[in-house]
Amino acid sequence: MTFTLYSLLQASLLCLNATALLHEERYLKNIGWGTDQGIGGFGEKPGIKSQLMNLIRSVRTVVRMPLIIVKSIAIVLLLLFG
Amino acid sequence: MHSADAAAGTARQPSKRRVPVSQPGMGDPHQLFDDTSSAQSRGYGAQRAAGGLGYPAAAASPQATFLDDPMSNVAMAYGSSLAAHGKELVDKNINRFIPVTKLKYYFAVDTMYVGRKLGLLFFPYLHQDWEVQYQQDTPVAPRFDINAPDLYIPAMAFITYVLVAGLALGTQDRFSPDILGLQASSALAWLTLEVVAILLSLYLVTVNTDLTTIDLVAFLGYKYVGMIGGVLMGLLFGKIGYYLVLGWCCVSIFVFMIRTLRLKILAEAAAEGVPVRGARNQLRMYLTMAVAAAQPLLMYWLTFHLVR
Repeated sequence: MTFTLYSLLQASLLCLNATALLHEERYLKNIGWGTDQGIGGFGEKPGIKSQLMNLIRSVRTVVRMPLIIVKSIAIVLLLLFG
Repeated sequence: MHSADAAAGTARQPSKRRVPVSQPGMGDPHQLFDDTSSAQSRGYGAQRAAGGLGYPAAAASPQATFLDDPMSNVAMAYGSSLAAHGKELVDKNINRFIPVTKLKYYFAVDTMYVGRKLGLLFFPYLHQDWEVQYQQDTPVAPRFDINAPDLYIPAMAFITYVLVAGLALGTQDRFSPDILGLQASSALAWLTLEVVAILLSLYLVTVNTDLTTIDLVAFLGYKYVGMIGGVLMGLLFGKIGYYLVLGWCCVSIFVFMIRTLRLKILAEAAAEGVPVRGARNQLRMYLTMAVAAAQPLLMYWLTFHLVR
């Protein structure tokens, strides 16, 4: 019931997984969050939406490979130890 | 963040107060800790000599029998060379994983700083100048400037909080040793969540700030002091004492965080008190208020179950 470091780890794994799952072509483009749709002018500072889109794209790129490994380990451990 | 600082450095220079280099009592500006090695070794040398004279006979005999065997000589020499090699390896690589030199800055405190900082945490209403002093572009060590963040108080306060939580639960017959680990883990998890949330919002709002992660951990760790005060008062005087002291500490931490973060997150003009219009500044103000408002909430959440 208490909020421990282990539950934070589990929650962050699930959230990262959810962010990495957002497919660029099938989903993000349909709701207007594709990365080629929001680029503003060069001079002005990027708004929150474009920062968010950049963040999602970077998370997807960086996290995809290690996430597969971590998820496999988590599946094996959860199967073995419940 | 530092390159952005350098670019904006010329515009920001008038507002950073430069400490004059020839300040008495500061010595080498890049030296964080006083050098007490010579005085210490002299003192210890004298002590050891006096102690050694008293026990020559007792020390000689067991040592003589142990070292007679040449194999143990070789073993000792090999063991000590292994240990030295391992220590050398750790020393070379430790900086890659934990930024030791950066951390040392946050622990360069002395008793007066700790006393005044604790006073500031409980009563920040009369303090006028909240800006951190700089010396040649590096912030001054905490022992010379009360506004500088440190990690000593948050670390000590965290450990004290865990112990006080154990004490509080013990007085209610709810104590068991693993509860200490649970409390520590819970507080650390909330701290990590706060740091990640604030870093994420700072990224989304594109704030050009020199607020480092360790700075943020230090500022967020100051609330443990108020929590300890509240729980101790709750133990002594029951719920009324707990609510009174916790309320006072919550308001103090709120004011403290707003006044400290205002200088770090808001634009220069706004930080000096002149209200600057514009959506961007408004967003930053909301962010500061949200961070400051989260502190009392967390202080209550982490302590209310300890006081019955």
